[in-house]
Amino acid sequence: MKSRTLANLSLIIRHEARILVRDRTLPLVCCVLALMVGYGLFVGLAQATLRDRMVAQVEKHEQATQRANAGTLQSVLAGKSALVPFSNPANPAAMAGTLSGRFATIPNAPLATLAIGQSDMMPNYYRISYLSKVQFMYDTEIENPWNLLSGHFDLAFVIVFVLPLLVTTLGYNLLSAEREHGTLRMLCSQPLSVATLLTGKIVVRMLALLTIVIPLPIVVLLLVRPETRGAEQLGLMLSWSALVASYALFWFAVAALVNATGLPSSTNALIMVALWTLLVLILPVTMNLVVGLVSPAPSRTELASRTRVATAESLREYESLYSADYRYASDPEALLVKDKRIEVPSRMRAFFLAKQRVDEKIEPLLERFDQQLLQQQRLVDRLSLLSPAILVNEALNSIAGTDSRRFVAFKDQTEAFHEGWRRYFSPRILESRAMTVQDLSSLPQWHWIEIPASETRWSIWWRTALMLALAFMVGGVALARSSRGSAGF
Amino acid sequence: MFAIIAAKDIRELTRDGRLLWAGGLVVVLMLVALAAGWNRQLQLNSERSAGQALDYDAWLHQGYRHPHDAAEQGMHVFKPEPPLGVFDPGIGPFVGSTVWLQAHRQSEVKFRPAQDATGLQRFGELSPAWLLQVLVPLLIIVVGFNSLSGERERGTLRQLLSLGVPARSLLFGKAAALASCAGVLIAPVGIGFAVFLVARLSAGERLDAVYRIAWLAAGYGLYLGFFVFLTLAVSALVRSSRAALVLLLGFWVAATLIAPRTASETANLFYPTPSRLAFDDHLSHDIAEAAGKAWAAHFGVRSQWDPSLPLSKWGAALKVDDAAGYSALDENFGGLWDTFERQQRAQEWVGLVAPIVALRGFSMGLAGTDFSQHRDFSIAAETQRRKIQDIVSEDLIEHADPLGNAHFTYKAGPELWASVPPFKYQLPSVSFALAHHWTSLALLAVMFCLSVALAQYALSRPLMR
Repeated sequence: MKSRTLANLSLIIRHEARILVRDRTLPLVCCVLALMVGYGLFVGLAQATLRDRMVAQVEKHEQATQRANAGTLQSVLAGKSALVPFSNPANPAAMAGTLSGRFATIPNAPLATLAIGQSDMMPNYYRISYLSKVQFMYDTEIENPWNLLSGHFDLAFVIVFVLPLLVTTLGYNLLSAEREHGTLRMLCSQPLSVATLLTGKIVVRMLALLTIVIPLPIVVLLLVRPETRGAEQLGLMLSWSALVASYALFWFAVAALVNATGLPSSTNALIMVALWTLLVLILPVTMNLVVGLVSPAPSRTELASRTRVATAESLREYESLYSADYRYASDPEALLVKDKRIEVPSRMRAFFLAKQRVDEKIEPLLERFDQQLLQQQRLVDRLSLLSPAILVNEALNSIAGTDSRRFVAFKDQTEAFHEGWRRYFSPRILESRAMTVQDLSSLPQWHWIEIPASETRWSIWWRTALMLALAFMVGGVALARSSRGSAGF
Repeated sequence: MFAIIAAKDIRELTRDGRLLWAGGLVVVLMLVALAAGWNRQLQLNSERSAGQALDYDAWLHQGYRHPHDAAEQGMHVFKPEPPLGVFDPGIGPFVGSTVWLQAHRQSEVKFRPAQDATGLQRFGELSPAWLLQVLVPLLIIVVGFNSLSGERERGTLRQLLSLGVPARSLLFGKAAALASCAGVLIAPVGIGFAVFLVARLSAGERLDAVYRIAWLAAGYGLYLGFFVFLTLAVSALVRSSRAALVLLLGFWVAATLIAPRTASETANLFYPTPSRLAFDDHLSHDIAEAAGKAWAAHFGVRSQWDPSLPLSKWGAALKVDDAAGYSALDENFGGLWDTFERQQRAQEWVGLVAPIVALRGFSMGLAGTDFSQHRDFSIAAETQRRKIQDIVSEDLIEHADPLGNAHFTYKAGPELWASVPPFKYQLPSVSFALAHHWTSLALLAVMFCLSVALAQYALSRPLMR
């Protein structure tokens, strides 16, 4: 019995493949998919390269500034060059502020090409100085807001939005067409179950789609981006493939279920498009609204007002330092290094201290913002169970390392580094210690610490498992219905 | 004849479950979107006007201090939400609403709400405009794809034509039926919202809002009309309902989902956006160069902190420095914003195949949430910043001379703070929006006419095949 089923299945697969190739549906759909995957990859690659280049530029900039600072410091200490009062690298307050070329950077994750995610909204570097966090933490890369609104045509878009539509094109009339042509009755008179027929038809279509959407990006990435060849990345690519396959399987299961209802082809197409609209367009957009309502972000206006209050208070607090005698302009010699000490102008000291106070005062509000983002993310994780599109999109972003979790980690690490930067300079500024050449090479260094891979892996695999379970559930119901003969024949 | 056909089709469509379910969903979503938008706007506007009043109040009551320190603290100004932002939030979430007017540098509008959002943000925002742009065309397709092909398949088309029904009546009757189905869903909510919105505005703003609403209605009418006639044309041209559905859905996906993204990617290739680092470097370089020249011309010194320039001239120096920077700022920010506008204009051509692109620009423009109006606000804010800088520098010039190195011990009082006028931003009028977006409207009109022509051609062909 079992061997006959298998023989039937392989017969159907071969037959179906032949028909689909002859009537040109399959080659056409495959070509469209290949084009889109190719374009999505191209966009992803261009974005990743752009961001790689930015980080490289920033690092180059940092090295150049450091070299320039070291050169100036040496010649100032040797008395060779004239003192520029507020750009003197021996002055720790100038070094901590205007002269510093320190950047906190987040590199692209190796698989960043696969999904652009949040990466166009979030900065991938911050310029670190003694300035207050509100002055630099909200800078982002320059981007046309219209483009941000439109979104990118990346591979994740092709998978989440377009793939289900192509599945619909290939699968809306799996059984209904046979019924409309009058061939279903004939097929059912053969020793062949409808479930086998349905499975065979789905296998052909699914294999055709998956042989394009999965290997193509992987091969291109392996060829073009050497950093994707590590064991961990290969593991991630495997989970990416499993995820994409399970998402496609889910939509084919939906097609099978719709076909098992026994309705005409155009009604089937309508039902599938309605489901797609609901799951891919309407639910995510509504969820976005719900997330904002259930867990609203603290007010940006409040942040601005609090910044103003904190700035005013801090300025007032250091009023006496701000309005001190300011003879350095006419007497730059006063800023010479003497016995490893330098007179840090009181106004510059006041700048440093005031910015520090602003941060201390704003900290609770900023913490609420971060907390809020984490809470929203948790809510999204829970709500994603309602829409396979959200589920897959979140997982694709986390594989690519362009999800908001990674950017929050970057923000956290930057804040810690900023703190460290201040801690390094604070005693030097307060005790008027001049910077030495050795100091320049011992400035705090930025190191990005990648978020734990195990966490990412786990979050991807449970999503894949969930997707598969959903697909099998829907598919199971479809097969059960079709074998009960409720498919309308 | 026309009316009979329309009435018959309307009756048929209302009996069909498609319209009931899909239309019901659209109406519910529309109400949710309006309520959410309204709630958001009320909250934002009260917060922003309170924030701005507080900031100005703090400026007036800051007591005695050095004017430049006051300028360092500066103040925040907030972009008011245009009344129609409820309908179409446009680029709002991606640009932020607050500008910090501080000494030395022009600030960008900061604190973008989208930065606080999760990955869901990129699926889009549920707004009435989004529903009308994306879902209602889909609804028209789903309801109307078989309106002519179905008649042919049932054989009723042959009967109709044998009775001598003119093709033109048939087309416009069917179009009227489809349009009134969409109208029944949109009009009550739309008119109710418009009346509610206009009634709440002050008398001075009402007329402007009414004009905007009327133009929006025209733009959306052309857009949805395009879909009505396209649906009928395809339904008449192809052999079966199934093929009509597949073709129309294919067009809808390509035009509303794929084209906008592809267009923005392509426009970026033609007019690349500079990187932040490059922009900042360029700006700093230009400012330094302009300042250097100005300092040399005015004071004969090579650098800002040249010992030969006494600190007592600091006010004058600051004024020269600022004025030199203004042109560099104008040039750099102006250049960047021009790039954005060029990118957008390049995309508008895509409106020729995907009318949603033209409509989106037009809708945002008329709602007051597009880039040109954002730019207008940014310029107004920068003008206010310069006003503050100039007042402060003038005062320093007046009071600095006898102070020598004790320049920063000078303190100005409330009279100086009061000489800075409060920032009042007037949203541009409807003519501003029309001047920027008439091409989009023209494009929509062309698309509409083309779709009518296509539908007429489709029906004038022998329908009895």
